[in-house]
Amino acid sequence: MDLAHPDRRERLEALAAQYALGTLRGLARVRFDRVLRSDPVVAATARDWERRLAVLAATVPGVTPSPRVWSAIVARLGLRAGIDEAGLGWWQRLGFWRGFALASFAAAVGLSVLQLLGPAVLSGESLVVVLAGPDAKPALIATAVRGEPLLTLKAVSESVPGPGRAYELWALPDGGAPQSLGVIAPGRVARLPLRRPSGEALASIPTLAVSLEPAGGSPTGAPTGPVLFTGRVERFY
Amino acid sequence: MPVADPGERSARLAALLARVALADQRAFEALYGQTSAHLHGVALRIVRDPAAAEEILQEAYISVWHHAGTYDAAKSQPITWLTSIVRNRCLDQLRRRDLDTVTLTTDDDAPAFDIADEGPTPPELLLEGAEASSVRACVETLEPAARQAIALAFFQGLSHAELAAHLRQPLGTIKSWVRRGLVRLRQCLDQTGYSR
Repeated sequence: MDLAHPDRRERLEALAAQYALGTLRGLARVRFDRVLRSDPVVAATARDWERRLAVLAATVPGVTPSPRVWSAIVARLGLRAGIDEAGLGWWQRLGFWRGFALASFAAAVGLSVLQLLGPAVLSGESLVVVLAGPDAKPALIATAVRGEPLLTLKAVSESVPGPGRAYELWALPDGGAPQSLGVIAPGRVARLPLRRPSGEALASIPTLAVSLEPAGGSPTGAPTGPVLFTGRVERFY
Repeated sequence: MPVADPGERSARLAALLARVALADQRAFEALYGQTSAHLHGVALRIVRDPAAAEEILQEAYISVWHHAGTYDAAKSQPITWLTSIVRNRCLDQLRRRDLDTVTLTTDDDAPAFDIADEGPTPPELLLEGAEASSVRACVETLEPAARQAIALAFFQGLSHAELAAHLRQPLGTIKSWVRRGLVRLRQCLDQTGYSR
């Protein structure tokens, strides 16, 4: 669709409005849905309409669903019904043996990194985080000396954020919202200053994560893009 | 639902979605607790069938679990994003139902379940929504006929043909009411600087 043409622009506005309102039906809706997935201008126009109309939806009276809805969701997703002993993330929901293998692997990689980094780190008390994707392949290794307010990140895969994008590092406190540790500068090795010595800054942080964000980092203070890598904070002290 | 500061609520829901993207089951449960009644209300209004509304709710949250990572806080409010997922599933369901139905329902066929009989009517809801967000003036600039048609389409998922049957007007008239009403609503909302 040539959107530079004013008539086309009007036509798109009208279609997006009908889409958001729900009066666009049948094949026209299916077609619009398809275009929307591949065309950012169309997607943004539809989103604008959803936003304009959303303010109206806010008044629909809430109706608490039957408990069987939640039970069905939990069952269909294969989650655990009770949350008391529930795993918090995929890295904790892995089977024991797989978890064991991952932990050993991470520790081994961590150790080899320590050796690479040399005696300065080895001699001190340090923290190591091996950040890996769901395939368990390490992508980044974060290291810090316990008493120093600095994280050093080393890229160990070919993974790069792509143009106009950046990797952002997050601390994931148990049960709390992610806290940004900053955007990871491009390159094989990046340094992220912390506000406090790493041992204190990460004292109650079991896990770090990396998300894909717009260049310059998340505009909202929370991860906005997909989470690509996560890793447990291993303390060598 | 207690009226919390909308900005604070959005930030809280966005933080939950971020954790759901990390497969955090507790965050998922909290998100469900804070949003399911509203989304269920939306689904019930549109599909007007309790069993179908429950099924849609299930599918919507399953989709949220798998796709929370694609939520972009820079582009939409969490509740708008969630509502769109539910509304789109409702409309798909209605579309499938349209295909299964040989003849259009007329006013003589009493629907088996009509949520609209309980609580405010769609046009009342439209005005309430406007009041809640200081865009009431914009809704009031709509001609009553357009206001009613837009409200019925939005809150009950009526198609153009169903609106025509319900409001006893030719299809062409309905389409032009809706089209002009939406254009007017947009102009007014954009002028008042209404933004997310």
